[in-house]
Amino acid sequence: MSYVAEGYNSFETKKTPSGIVKYLPDPKSVIALIQSGKLKEHILLVQGGTTTFLAPALSMGSIGVITMSGAPESHLGILSREFQMPCVMTAYLTDSDSRYVTGGNNNAHFAAIIKALEGKKVQLHCEDRETGRIAIIS
Amino acid sequence: MSTYKDRYKSADDGMRFQDLVYQGNFKGMDPVPDGILGDKVLRQRAKSKVLEKVSKEDVLRDQFTVDELNDLNNYLAWNIWDVLVMRATEGVSGMIPRQEYEILAFMHEFYRWPEILEMTTNEVGAQGIIDIGASARREIGTKVNCVHDWCIGAVGFGMGRCGLLALEAIQPQDYVRESNIILKFMQRVLWGKRQDGYILNSQDRYRCKIHEKDILDKLLGQVEYFEPGSEKHDSLVRFNAAAELLSFLDHYDCRLGLGDTGPYELPDGKIMIIRDLFTNEEVYDWSDVCDHENVPHCYTLCLVIDPDKMALSEIRVNDISTTFTRPKNYIEHIVGGAVFVREKWNTPMGEVYQVKISELDKRLEGIQQATFKLYTKFSRMSRRTLITNGMYVYYIDMILPHLRLAGTYDKACTDYEFWEIDQRVSNYYYDIVKRGFAQATVPQKIFSGEGYLPFPDNVSLNRSKYYWK
Repeated sequence: MSYVAEGYNSFETKKTPSGIVKYLPDPKSVIALIQSGKLKEHILLVQGGTTTFLAPALSMGSIGVITMSGAPESHLGILSREFQMPCVMTAYLTDSDSRYVTGGNNNAHFAAIIKALEGKKVQLHCEDRETGRIAIIS
Repeated sequence: MSTYKDRYKSADDGMRFQDLVYQGNFKGMDPVPDGILGDKVLRQRAKSKVLEKVSKEDVLRDQFTVDELNDLNNYLAWNIWDVLVMRATEGVSGMIPRQEYEILAFMHEFYRWPEILEMTTNEVGAQGIIDIGASARREIGTKVNCVHDWCIGAVGFGMGRCGLLALEAIQPQDYVRESNIILKFMQRVLWGKRQDGYILNSQDRYRCKIHEKDILDKLLGQVEYFEPGSEKHDSLVRFNAAAELLSFLDHYDCRLGLGDTGPYELPDGKIMIIRDLFTNEEVYDWSDVCDHENVPHCYTLCLVIDPDKMALSEIRVNDISTTFTRPKNYIEHIVGGAVFVREKWNTPMGEVYQVKISELDKRLEGIQQATFKLYTKFSRMSRRTLITNGMYVYYIDMILPHLRLAGTYDKACTDYEFWEIDQRVSNYYYDIVKRGFAQATVPQKIFSGEGYLPFPDNVSLNRSKYYWK
């Protein structure tokens, strides 16, 4: 299987959730997704690795998350483990050399990932101890 | 088969949880790794004995020497890096401007805490501060815990001084006396809590086994056992996650809502983690949504883990009260648990009660509702309000449990204007958003260790700061 993106694996799991990637840019979009009743149809793509931004989505049972920064030691990494919700963190595109830089200007890096993943149906593979992987399945 | 007990052999250097290494003030020397080996290296490089087991007489002494201050400064800087450097990659929240509120709180604490901690020490005595730490040995649901106690020194002194040095608001020779007050307070609380001579979990191979045996036996006697993947397992895991999430959220996405102790080795070879989840802190006005959903001050969870089934190779209960394991996923190897409720921060231990796992779902609903309401409330707040509130969470909450037990919280509020914001820090609000100070400069200084400049060797222990330029 070829993987379009990969990153830190929050925790090891045999779960392989799949869904349409939905990028959530702000709290309003999180609330709107919860209220749409379609939360479980999506793999959520977010910029940061913090917990609060995704709090209601985690609480209501989101099936998988991709972040563009953060690590398993981040609050979102810890909470994804506690919820047993697969989470690939600081994801990068496997066909690109662009990587997240802590404290740097990552706007172009984020935009490229969003463009490559949003609206695509993907599956998360998180069996490996260190690396979580993302495959496009249709 | 587990191998985690090998980590407790004196010759063992532990595993590496990350590839990064630490330099700090040790320029020209080999970089320092994370974990048990990092602790060993720091102790080898210390000039004093303050990082070894210390006696009660040492702890009761009024001041640290300059060498001791510098050893503590270096150790805390490494310890901060050890527990937080990977978290530093998490970027912006999208919800709460945490980096901004954090740096303001660091500096505010360094300026304001010394006189409040000194007043508290004067009120109850040095032994009284040790006793506050010791109270955690016989309680669950208490915020006198690793993360709060660590924050006194690591955040209020370490990061506060580091931030002010980076802002060039102070010099390395300033505020020696005040630094001593903060660090002595931290040492006394932590020493009283551990009572093995150490103050930090990293000095004891990341163990925080503080509870007295009779307390542990009582909790263990109420644990319900189950098969991994069973309905009870799923209920407990779901509840743990949801309550932990609310505890993070109520504390503005910070670790003060969570407190682990352990690992406690059980007679049958299993291990237990005791986890306090502070889901409703009454001192915050935004916790009213938790009141409306009847969410208590704290849920305490006992989590029994089978180390052999998960082939556990290392477990760390670090100094910010968080458990990390290798392999990472201990959740699916939880084989028993119990949940307890402490309704208010001062509810007597005799009134703490158990909730059976079969009855957790009703409480889970309240937690989910409170989480959604709190999120909605935060999403409507201005950036300035979020930063101010977050600053208060750090500045107030990190010493709140100690002031409460000392009986000095009200005095701090009335006589010392605890809830006011120092004018210097108010002005810094405008500086920290310029030139990436909060989002790049300070994190770089903090996580590289470059910013924790030592005190000069010949500085007076009475040195404060009497002029500004």
